[in-house]
Amino acid sequence: MFFKIDSFALAGIDAIKVSVEVHISNGLPSFTIVGLPDKAVSESRQRVRAAIINSGFKFPMKRIIVNLSPADIKKEGAFYDLPIALSILAVSRQISSKLFDMSCFIGELSLDGNINPIKGIISMTEKAVSIGENYFFVPQKIAHQASLIKNINIVPGRNLNEVVKILCNSSDLEKYVYKSNGNKILYSNNCYNYDFEDVKGQLKAKRALEIAVSGMHNIMLIGPPGAGKTMLAQRAITIMPQLSLPECIEVTKIYSLYKKYSGELIQKRPFRNPHHTISRIGLIGGGKNPKPGAISLSHRGVLFLDEFSQFPKNLIEDLRQPLENKRVVITRNNASYCFPCSFMLIVATNPCYCGYFGDDKKKCVCSFREIRKFWKNLSGPIVDRIDMRVNVPRLKENDFIDANPGESSLEIKKRVRRCIEIQQKRYKGKKIKYNSESGSRMVNHWLEDNKEVRNLLSKISEKYNLTARGMVSILKVAQTIADLDESEIIRNQHLLEALQYRVNYDFSSLGYGKYK
Amino acid sequence: MTLVVLVMASINKISKKILYLLSEYKVKPSKFIDVFKRNKCNIYKTLNFFSSNKTLKLNLDFGLENINQRESGDNNFNSVMDFLLKNDISVLNISDESYPDILKEIYFPPPILFLKGEKIRKAKFNVAVVGTRKCTAYGIEAAEYISKQLSKIGITVVSGMALGIDSYAQRAALEEEGGSIGVLGCGIDVVYPPENRYLYKDITKNGSLVSEFFPKTPPLKSNFPSRNRIISGLSNGVVVVEAGERSGAIITSEIALKQNREVFAVPGNIFSSESRGCHRLIKSGAKLVEDIDDILEEFSQYFGVCYEIDKKRKLNVDAPEGKVDEISNNPNNIDNSLDVDHKRIYEFIGYKPKSLEEIVKFTGYGIKEVLGILADLELKQLVEEKSFGKYKKIF
Repeated sequence: MFFKIDSFALAGIDAIKVSVEVHISNGLPSFTIVGLPDKAVSESRQRVRAAIINSGFKFPMKRIIVNLSPADIKKEGAFYDLPIALSILAVSRQISSKLFDMSCFIGELSLDGNINPIKGIISMTEKAVSIGENYFFVPQKIAHQASLIKNINIVPGRNLNEVVKILCNSSDLEKYVYKSNGNKILYSNNCYNYDFEDVKGQLKAKRALEIAVSGMHNIMLIGPPGAGKTMLAQRAITIMPQLSLPECIEVTKIYSLYKKYSGELIQKRPFRNPHHTISRIGLIGGGKNPKPGAISLSHRGVLFLDEFSQFPKNLIEDLRQPLENKRVVITRNNASYCFPCSFMLIVATNPCYCGYFGDDKKKCVCSFREIRKFWKNLSGPIVDRIDMRVNVPRLKENDFIDANPGESSLEIKKRVRRCIEIQQKRYKGKKIKYNSESGSRMVNHWLEDNKEVRNLLSKISEKYNLTARGMVSILKVAQTIADLDESEIIRNQHLLEALQYRVNYDFSSLGYGKYK
Repeated sequence: MTLVVLVMASINKISKKILYLLSEYKVKPSKFIDVFKRNKCNIYKTLNFFSSNKTLKLNLDFGLENINQRESGDNNFNSVMDFLLKNDISVLNISDESYPDILKEIYFPPPILFLKGEKIRKAKFNVAVVGTRKCTAYGIEAAEYISKQLSKIGITVVSGMALGIDSYAQRAALEEEGGSIGVLGCGIDVVYPPENRYLYKDITKNGSLVSEFFPKTPPLKSNFPSRNRIISGLSNGVVVVEAGERSGAIITSEIALKQNREVFAVPGNIFSSESRGCHRLIKSGAKLVEDIDDILEEFSQYFGVCYEIDKKRKLNVDAPEGKVDEISNNPNNIDNSLDVDHKRIYEFIGYKPKSLEEIVKFTGYGIKEVLGILADLELKQLVEEKSFGKYKKIF
């Protein structure tokens, strides 16, 4: 005899449909699971047997074969206990329900028949919607997460008995369907411990961060130790607008694969600050069963790489494609997994090994050769992808004493939100969302009827010897500044301000200089 | 044979003979100068002395053909000549007319100078600007300012092509009329330090590279003191911009005193170890330099023309902020190109670097306006960013 119900497996952050097939026949009693199960799946035999018996059902003393199809994908995790138990009950004719055909099931059983939560429920629910299931039976504890996805009926179950009861009384099913109530996003204004108010002075860096956040530009902070680079970077998320519900879901999906995930919907923008000893897998993602790395965990948030120069060169180079594509594809011999990673990159670095190059109080003790070596490690393709570079000088004594506090994050956030709205209007119907993502074609389009700015641009590029990429990235920043100003077109002052965020260290003439 | 003709063109017979003496018979340059002086600076007598010297057993009365016949093998002299020729390096000997007179005055002038670039033959008046390799931002600024101003009025800046003060001074001087002479402590074809390779290229356009050492000589430690004597020997005065207690620049100034040159020192921060040497020089009587007027004053008797120019310039020096040159002090000039906001910020920024915070606080503009205006002023070359986030007017 044969029976089949649907369940899901996780591949990266995406779910795939898995059919749990059970065949039961006469012969010596045995219970086998095939279809590339891992240890946790194989052990579900013991859990299922105990849960069935402890829920008051009979475990059939027959030859039972469970197949998880498609059979060539590795199954991991204890997701299939509930579907296996139900299909054994169904195939042994202990229960029957017309609901089986339009439902799917997921859940881990404990020995007494209770259903325990599992990870990755959001991805699975999304998949369930896309393959057109009507009912999704999930562990009760995580039903609120599953209910974030619309167009499917989520049926929470506390234990095996309850699920069986619901299945057998399909007429009053509706009353068991989960009704979401508390899933509104809590628009709390002050969910961070930091605020831009705390930063004294550093006007340029603050302004730069405001612009960077508004257009999602990557930014590099250069300054001597103790200047406040880390302090500034930590406050970047406090001026980012609240995550929208789809964005929350995206982020939660990624975090649901992460070990420390508590199960709640994530509403804060993530801020990841990995130490420079992070491994390649830790940063990019991967492993035998690929897990998201720091770049994906900072999706829709900020990835802050402090002491950027200390990061191994190969790690820095690994960031290239994710920065460009906003997703990272990890391919292993059995499958490839795609994790989204649309983050804002903030990097902070000292200007040289000793940290005081360009400082006018403390003298830099590095030789020019060392300084050049230092910048050679940093420069190259990755720095090219960083639109804004800002120096963060140490404050002078009287800059500290300045009594009036700076603007609070809330005020800045208002401007940022407005700027992002303008961008959304501009990019309506296009794939991109922010100015930083626009390509050179679009940038040229902005300037078509803008003779004044074009003239200035040619003057600038002549003076500072700009590359094509440099020019595009200045223009992108200028566009964001114009949007912050709520100006229809880029004006000269916007372009000139954008120029200020292109500090670089020019060592061809030995010493501090800048080419913008 | 064509090679030989070319050799004739750039290296005259006497130079060749001296080279031959020094390379083939290992006559020490100091010995040569000794004999040269004993013969009352008559080069022919000197050469005769060597050729009649029995122990050396040499014949200097050769024609060109003789050399070729005699030295057809793979010898030192021929390879040096070949090298000079291929690399377009010319040679000055002590009896040449274009050999700088001022260098002849010193106790031990080099009998032979290898050179690239023609500046040394034309330079009228030289001042050395030297300093430490580990310079501070202040030192760089001072070196650049002084060299540029000197070069503007046609004075050639002599220095040692080292990192730090030397190269900044030379770069700044090359931009103006006076140009620069770089004196090397290694063979003229050796680029040391490698960071300066572009300076090596650029300097020949409006300056010279000079070395007393044979080509391919590595930059040995012992070469540098003797290079320093040429730096001060070529110059009428030596300006020490920034020097630590035991810097090479201090040695140069000591040699300069022995050579009867003027020594100037630029004062610095009393807490900076890199200004110690300068301050010691000032204490022991070197002239303190704030502006090039201080330098030119000492030379006014020799160098009337220069000082005249300087006097014209001097008429403008009365602004409270410090030194002002013709362009930036001309109010009409700025009026035309700048609007009110620009002018206000421009006027607030002085010659002492001001931080962005200060500018915002005291002018009352918002940060975004200030940033835009500063970029514009930078583009117009009125203001520049010095050290970290500090802006100052350009001289």
